[in-house]
Amino acid sequence: MKRAWAAEVAVVDLELCDRCGVCLPLCPPEAIHLEFDDLVVDRNTCTGCRKCVAPCPVGALAMVHA
Amino acid sequence: MPDVDVLVVGAGPAGCVAAWETKHAAPELEVVLLERDRAVGAPVRCAEGVGDAGLREFANPDGAAWVARKITRVIFIAPDDTEVKVAERDVGWILDRTRFDAFLAGEACAEGAELLVGTEAAGMERAPDGRWDVRVRGPYGDATYRAKLVVGADGVEAMVGRWAGLDTRVPARDMESCAQYVIQGIEFDPDAIYLQFGRRIAPGGYAWIFPKGVGIANVGLGMVALKGDGRNAREYLDTWIAQRYPRGARTAYTVGGVIVHTTVKQTHTDGVLVAGDAAHMINPLSGGGIVNAMKAGRLAGRTAAAAVRAGDTSERALAAFHASWMDLLGEDHLKYYRIKRGLEDLDDEFFNSLARTVNRIPPHERTLGRIFTHALVRHPQLIPVAARFFL
Repeated sequence: MKRAWAAEVAVVDLELCDRCGVCLPLCPPEAIHLEFDDLVVDRNTCTGCRKCVAPCPVGALAMVHA
Repeated sequence: MPDVDVLVVGAGPAGCVAAWETKHAAPELEVVLLERDRAVGAPVRCAEGVGDAGLREFANPDGAAWVARKITRVIFIAPDDTEVKVAERDVGWILDRTRFDAFLAGEACAEGAELLVGTEAAGMERAPDGRWDVRVRGPYGDATYRAKLVVGADGVEAMVGRWAGLDTRVPARDMESCAQYVIQGIEFDPDAIYLQFGRRIAPGGYAWIFPKGVGIANVGLGMVALKGDGRNAREYLDTWIAQRYPRGARTAYTVGGVIVHTTVKQTHTDGVLVAGDAAHMINPLSGGGIVNAMKAGRLAGRTAAAAVRAGDTSERALAAFHASWMDLLGEDHLKYYRIKRGLEDLDDEFFNSLARTVNRIPPHERTLGRIFTHALVRHPQLIPVAARFFL
């Protein structure tokens, strides 16, 4: 695993997520992308920096223990 | 594997105009325009306002089916609800983006571009001969398009730039998180757009009312989460609307992001151009991006046509795009960005007293130039902000 030291990683609640894409350019390691109707966070790339969490307009992103 | 000359990813204003302009400049080229959503122009993630002069460079809004409302006034609202009317003629338009984007796509197709909706670019790699192999998923299954040139007009997500190795990331302080309702059955001046500022209303951004008709408006806000109190954009908006329009019917809802940064350092690399929101070509003061995107799309289309025709799509050959964009608007955006950063240091009380100052100017003399002069004399805190425009 490339980023084994990340204690937390971001997860998305797809019930809340509107697929607007705000979080994508905010992610320093570019761990988030959209695939049609799904937002995908790559757990192995996420560094747990939380930069995506507060800007989500609907609060769909949260941190969980890796 | 289909071979194409130019593959445009994203059929918004930047992509449609890029495809249209490429075919217009070089009709012999094969141009394919991809749109991930099943309909061009939907879902709308936009307040839909455009300036009159910029729009007219591309299309005539008079009587057009893709216009929702003509705007002739701007009303600024200070944090304490003091309203300042700035009367101008032909300020701008509120579009119907669903119809407008479809109109632009239609113009591109009329020039001979091929549009594929419901079709997503999933990744791209460099082919041995220097062209780009773009993996595409759509209603007819998977395919790989081999393109001499790819135009990334894929909006805030900016995946094409990322795949091509361009840095399109955004610092958190320069991302505005936005939420918007279409509200029906409310009272406001249907010929005016309203912009309200305030730390408690929309920290780092502003709230807006953009009329779509009498009694119907896009009511939304953009805020910078770093400057907020922990609530998200939708929660800020719900608070504002509860105070202002508790009885309106919320008939639609959308969220999105506006990048209030400056143009990415590099908008081109071998065989790739990025344009519009994907390249952060947004006015960082207003957050406006539609006309910027169309202007960038036009420059991208012209550069693409010339480069493919000449058989040289190298980074060096495409540098004309970046240079022409910076001359046209990119350098101005650097100035606007400095002003934006200066205004961030001023508090709500400053804007309340500025509004009262401006309201002492008789309405018919209330031009932007006069407002600016009065403001500088009475509010010397603005001088460092103004100075940044010239530095």
